[in-house]
Amino acid sequence: MPIIVAGLSHHTAPVTVRERFAISEAAAVPLLQQLKQSGLVEEAVLLSTCNRVEIYAVTPAGRPWTALRDFFGAGNGLQPPAESEVYLLQEPASLEHLFKVACGLDSLVLGETEILGQLKKAYELSLHQGLTGANLNKAFQKAFHVAKQVRSETNIQRGSISVGSVAVELAEKIFNSLEDRQVMVIGAGETSEKTARALLSRGAKSIIVSNRSHERAVALAAELGGRAVHFEDWAREFEKIDIVISSTSAPHYVLDRPRLEPVMKSRKQRSLLLIDIAVPRDIEPEVNFLENVFLYNIDDLQGIADEYLKLRKAEVSECEKIIQEKARGLLESLRARPHSGGGRGRTALEAS
Amino acid sequence: MAAVIFYGLSTLYLVFLWRKGFREDNRVNYGLLAGGVIFHTMAMVGRGFSFSRCPVNNLYEMMVFISWTIVTSYLAIGLWSRLRFLGAFASPVLFGMGVFALMPALDPPRGDSPNFAGGWGSLHATLILLAFGAFGLSSVAALMYLTQVHDLKLHKARAIFSLLPPIQRLEQVAGGLLGGGFFLLTAGLLISHLLLKQRDGNLWSADPQILWSYFVWLLYLGLLMMRWWFAQGGKRFAWGTIASFVFVLLTFWGVYLLPGIHQR
Repeated sequence: MPIIVAGLSHHTAPVTVRERFAISEAAAVPLLQQLKQSGLVEEAVLLSTCNRVEIYAVTPAGRPWTALRDFFGAGNGLQPPAESEVYLLQEPASLEHLFKVACGLDSLVLGETEILGQLKKAYELSLHQGLTGANLNKAFQKAFHVAKQVRSETNIQRGSISVGSVAVELAEKIFNSLEDRQVMVIGAGETSEKTARALLSRGAKSIIVSNRSHERAVALAAELGGRAVHFEDWAREFEKIDIVISSTSAPHYVLDRPRLEPVMKSRKQRSLLLIDIAVPRDIEPEVNFLENVFLYNIDDLQGIADEYLKLRKAEVSECEKIIQEKARGLLESLRARPHSGGGRGRTALEAS
Repeated sequence: MAAVIFYGLSTLYLVFLWRKGFREDNRVNYGLLAGGVIFHTMAMVGRGFSFSRCPVNNLYEMMVFISWTIVTSYLAIGLWSRLRFLGAFASPVLFGMGVFALMPALDPPRGDSPNFAGGWGSLHATLILLAFGAFGLSSVAALMYLTQVHDLKLHKARAIFSLLPPIQRLEQVAGGLLGGGFFLLTAGLLISHLLLKQRDGNLWSADPQILWSYFVWLLYLGLLMMRWWFAQGGKRFAWGTIASFVFVLLTFWGVYLLPGIHQR
């Protein structure tokens, strides 16, 4: 009774196809129960995220496991994806794939950690509904253990590879804690909003939003739990601000050295982090020469993010070694069980 | 000697950590310094017991005591992982002080009576030397602060990849240690007046060593006022902290080699 994986992901199918097969939590259980009753699977876990839809299943001995592909086919009442868009993996590739997914190695953002939580949730749903058995229980528990091991023994999840997260890391290199920090967002664009949210997620409590369109500033401030100020008045708030995220569409500098220098004196030389993600830039580069001012533009942030991504990519082979070793160990223990059945080390059969 | 060897190994390891951009955990360095302090403490305790008093009686013993203060303070602070890299920066200071202390001229053959007599004398010397130890560690924190600020200003990847603590914390540690050291120095100097009164019947003496000590006291008072009264923290405070300790290191020996109150 081998463990197999059938699915489609961002690697194989565009979002227009993936969205057809996205399954909510409420719909997952009846679907899996239906699959089980059909005799196609004995155990099953369904993982459905924005970047993948996968079924991890144990198929009964004697049943053609390739029939699981039908789940993604016309048998499910949906327009079937192209053959190249669906993959079907058998042991040991299925186990390695599960471990890779758990470790974030198969994610759109290499090393991201959100997928582990999603995988745990999907597993627990099946577990509580009695849709898993000894094989999948063992495989998933092992996957969570491997994810923990990879996280602690490699740098695959180290650092930030989004501009917003890099800004947060910079703030944490300057300030003891973000909890008492005042953040100002000048220009309520998408990237500045994401950066502000990243800061909020790390404990920043106070957000002031300023935008040429005051209505947009008010709306964003309400979402972020902060307050809005008129665009003409943002400079007056500067004395109390610790972190500034600037992303206006102004063709000139909105903040320059002559304007900032007297403000730094009245701030009693407290450190100030300026994140300028506008193009053209909002903040004159000269302000970086002021004491206790740290100015980073979009290229600086992206450069750091790219360095982190390089670091993560360098860790992939180390992670894969761990995964292969653990998958081998798991396969041996699964085959050692009575009535384990299982394939004979056939190589992965991907959608052809 | 064994302690100095450990501090030397720690200094070598600092080079490795520096080449890695301070991305590696500093536990090896912490272990080396902990190993060094064991031998260091054994040497000091052994010497103290053999002479039946606190070993703060000549330049050699003072150097050993100050460096012991620095390393034990670091080992306490370094239990907090975010501040463990303080040890990496302290290693060269400890190694340098250790090598200097081993110069034979600093530890002449002991005569019948030591330079300090009685418990108050030992307390006075201990407080002063603890103060210098605190100033030393403060300057190490200041050096780390300047390193981080430099990297952040120039957008070096090391600023964000390294495991060094945030600059605000480094500034607080430097300020706190400096404040603690100033308090100890003040207490030590107050006791010196009691000792003068006991010995000479006067509360004051224009001895070069006393004058030098008060000059150092004023130097650090100025730094503290600069930071807390005039809100001139940041790089200026960090440079002031380092420069003050360098001044102490460079002039301490010369002043105590002069014929002065501690030699009478």
